[in-house]
Amino acid sequence: MALLERQRRLLDFTLSSLLRRKGKNGALVAVYALTIFLLASVLFFGESLRREASIILADAPSLVVQRMMAGRHELIPDSYADQVRSIRGVRSVKPRLWGYYYDPLSGANYTIVTSEERKNGTIAIGSGVASTRKLAVDDVLPLRASKGDTMLFTVAEVLSEESALASADLMIVTPADFREFFAMPAGFATDLIVDSGNPRECSTIAEKIAIRLPDTRPIVREEILRTYDAIFGLRSGMVLAVLACAVIAFLIFAWDKATGLSAEERAEIGILKAVGWDTSDVLLMKFWEGTVISVTAFLAGTALAYAHVFLAGASLFEPALKGWSVIYPAFRPTPVFDPAQIVTIFFLTVVPYIAVTVVPVWRAATIDPDAVMRT
Amino acid sequence: MKRFSFMIILVLLASSSFAAGQVPAKPSHADKCPVCGMFVYKYPDWTASLRLADGTTLYFDGAKDLFAFLFDASRYRPGTAVGDIKDIFVKDYYSLSPVDGRTAWYVAGSDVFGPMGRELIPFAKESDAREFRKDHGGLAPLPFSGVTPATLQALK
Repeated sequence: MALLERQRRLLDFTLSSLLRRKGKNGALVAVYALTIFLLASVLFFGESLRREASIILADAPSLVVQRMMAGRHELIPDSYADQVRSIRGVRSVKPRLWGYYYDPLSGANYTIVTSEERKNGTIAIGSGVASTRKLAVDDVLPLRASKGDTMLFTVAEVLSEESALASADLMIVTPADFREFFAMPAGFATDLIVDSGNPRECSTIAEKIAIRLPDTRPIVREEILRTYDAIFGLRSGMVLAVLACAVIAFLIFAWDKATGLSAEERAEIGILKAVGWDTSDVLLMKFWEGTVISVTAFLAGTALAYAHVFLAGASLFEPALKGWSVIYPAFRPTPVFDPAQIVTIFFLTVVPYIAVTVVPVWRAATIDPDAVMRT
Repeated sequence: MKRFSFMIILVLLASSSFAAGQVPAKPSHADKCPVCGMFVYKYPDWTASLRLADGTTLYFDGAKDLFAFLFDASRYRPGTAVGDIKDIFVKDYYSLSPVDGRTAWYVAGSDVFGPMGRELIPFAKESDAREFRKDHGGLAPLPFSGVTPATLQALK
């Protein structure tokens, strides 16, 4: 109990001494909190993008085969599907139809995919399409087909927002409507999705496809995952590079504040020692001072970052981290709370700060009080 | 998933080597391989199983351990004789569906590894096994009766 009481009194003393230098300490906490805010925002946002991507890719096919012509993606003939089907280890091959549609009205690119389970003349749209075109279920959406005529689609469903990033710009129609809309010849598909019975055989099947159908490009799901990871990694890397400057500025600031004890502070330590404080008391007092400042900044910074990313939609980084389509004016990342990230931020900021503040104080506190006060 | 299990049933019905509709049960989280002691449910792609005359099912994390058991049953499960074994199931490498272990073909020494390292890879058809050898190497495919303790010794 006595020990706790001692700590409480020390903390009490520390707080009042911090309050005596309001301006300086206030500025320190503000800069500190800003740095933590930036760091935490990048981490939160990167993580939520990765989470979105994993939702997208959970149902991704294990192998996609695209036909290439002169280095560009081409329509793939149905006969290719039969050839792929004959490869051992392939359980099923499905031709897939999908494409992009540029909508001049909203200036956005939509992704159109097909599903056999829909009815001709109906369309399912993502939340982004619904909000930019102000559509609800049973409304009619006119779209300009490839041949110049207008096709009317009745909205049958607005897709849920489980992953807004993935489905916001999506439109789902039937294969027949798709062919008519884009004037795509029969007997061709956009690409093939291959289901291998054994996931271990995927790369072997991909190799065989590349040999038997030299004008195709087989894409294994792991490659797609790696690409997504690299893109998100690169994008958060760009922000991190900018952030690095902020971190270094903060480090210089903290180092200056922490290592170069001002004459006033040294005198204070000398007086405390002269009135009977132990070296350990001084160290504890300074430890509490560092803890109060960094924990305050840490809590403020992380809370602000959480609000920024998940409530304000990471408005500061949006251009750097996303920006692949204009459809996402109101992209709200799905809130994720990962304790490991919080601990990472804590150990990157709070612990080093406390460490650097204690060392110089220990040096000052071990010197004879008389000598300290004279300097 | 429904369609998948339907497909398995179709495959099973089509295969004449099966006694009508005998699908091996799935291992529970408590089932351990009697040979190596590993939990079997973690490796569904490799699960092999034996059904004894009294109705108990034993699960193995690969055909290699199943054969190890067959060659020395009383050592791994005292009181069990080879004569007590009714059905043997292994997972076909390409389709990952269970097939009759007695009519399956096995390839040893390939570059495909199971949870216990080098493995005997089971196939429903001999032609599948031969094709597999072209891609992944290994020794000549063996029928059920061709697998001997020496085959297993070479996989250690």
